Amino acid sequence: MTGFSDGELVALVLNGNVDSFAGLVRRHQDACARFAVRMLGSRVDADDVLQSAFMRAFRGLRGCKDPDHFGGWLYQIVVNECRTYASRQRKREQRFPSSAAAIESAVAPGSEPELDPDVGGHIERALGTLPTDQREAFLLKHVEELTYEEISEMTGVSVSALKMRVKRACDALRGQLEGVYNG
Amino acid sequence: MAENPGMQGREAGDDEAFAERVAAPLRAAERAHPSFEKRVMDRVRMEGPTLYPIPGSSPTSWWWTKRVFETSPMKALAVAAAVTAIVGLSGIALGTRIGDGTRDVARAPATTAAPDTIQLVRFVFVDARASSVELVGDFNEWTKGTTSLRLSGAPGVWAASVPLTPGRHEYAFIVNGTRWVADPLAVKSSDDFGTESSVIRVAQPGRSET
Repeated sequence: MTGFSDGELVALVLNGNVDSFAGLVRRHQDACARFAVRMLGSRVDADDVLQSAFMRAFRGLRGCKDPDHFGGWLYQIVVNECRTYASRQRKREQRFPSSAAAIESAVAPGSEPELDPDVGGHIERALGTLPTDQREAFLLKHVEELTYEEISEMTGVSVSALKMRVKRACDALRGQLEGVYNG
Repeated sequence: MAENPGMQGREAGDDEAFAERVAAPLRAAERAHPSFEKRVMDRVRMEGPTLYPIPGSSPTSWWWTKRVFETSPMKALAVAAAVTAIVGLSGIALGTRIGDGTRDVARAPATTAAPDTIQLVRFVFVDARASSVELVGDFNEWTKGTTSLRLSGAPGVWAASVPLTPGRHEYAFIVNGTRWVADPLAVKSSDDFGTESSVIRVAQPGRSET
């Protein structure tokens, strides 16, 4: 499957060769995993969301208007799935804060992102405190390194609103991380 | 960011520099779980034939849309053409060839056909518990609802006569609208997903099939 372009693989799937979808999964799963893990702060949650996103992509493959850019289209689905998941998670935690805390503490060591504990752990935690829209905008802009125009096209949010979200995210992160490192 | 970032973005007065310091460690590669592809593909293969049938196949028939048959040895074609088979606990399937009028299967295996002759092949399926039996095969484009067997008089004996051209044909029965049943005593053919069908060969003109 490695010799096929995304567009060719999509065409193969649409013509009944569903096994060709494996080539698309293999090609894009890791890039999507990075965003999902950073966005959700949990590999377990990210795995669930990614599976849901890939299946949504598979089921809606006819709606991929530009199969040669399947990756961008898939990424959009992943972003939406993460947003939905994060929103549900927030509501759940608001309703059952003690349960959420218990679940969080019950996660086995090693199942969470393994960044440099001296740096990445603080950043991860700080990132996790941001509102979903700010976290998403920050990750897409500075981690995934998309342009504001690309993010706007992907999310449907205006460029000016995105800039504001990123600015607020940076301010919030700075406040938290300065406290950690300088306090 | 191997060194301690220090988080001196405010002092630098540069949002971009601060954001870069924060973002750098977050750009570390992540890998999907090793089983991720398999789990996704298991579901894809389950749903795929319905969503994306192979062109030329019926979109209403989920079980055959991904049908890539391997060839099977043509042994026992007389049996395949006419044989009775026990299906499950109570089902029996028969494929009986009729040339010019009804023939006894045993006397008419692998009959020859005139060049333009279409032969009637009588398919019989016996299942006392069946409420409906259909025949699908390459001759009706595996289309469910095209060829229904009818109760032929004896309890649980379903039958239909189907005109077939000379050559190799694959078929299966659908019992009660959902259960796919291959003729157990006929030659088998399997697709990529292990779905079995049966093979019948209507003799080419001038020679017998084996």
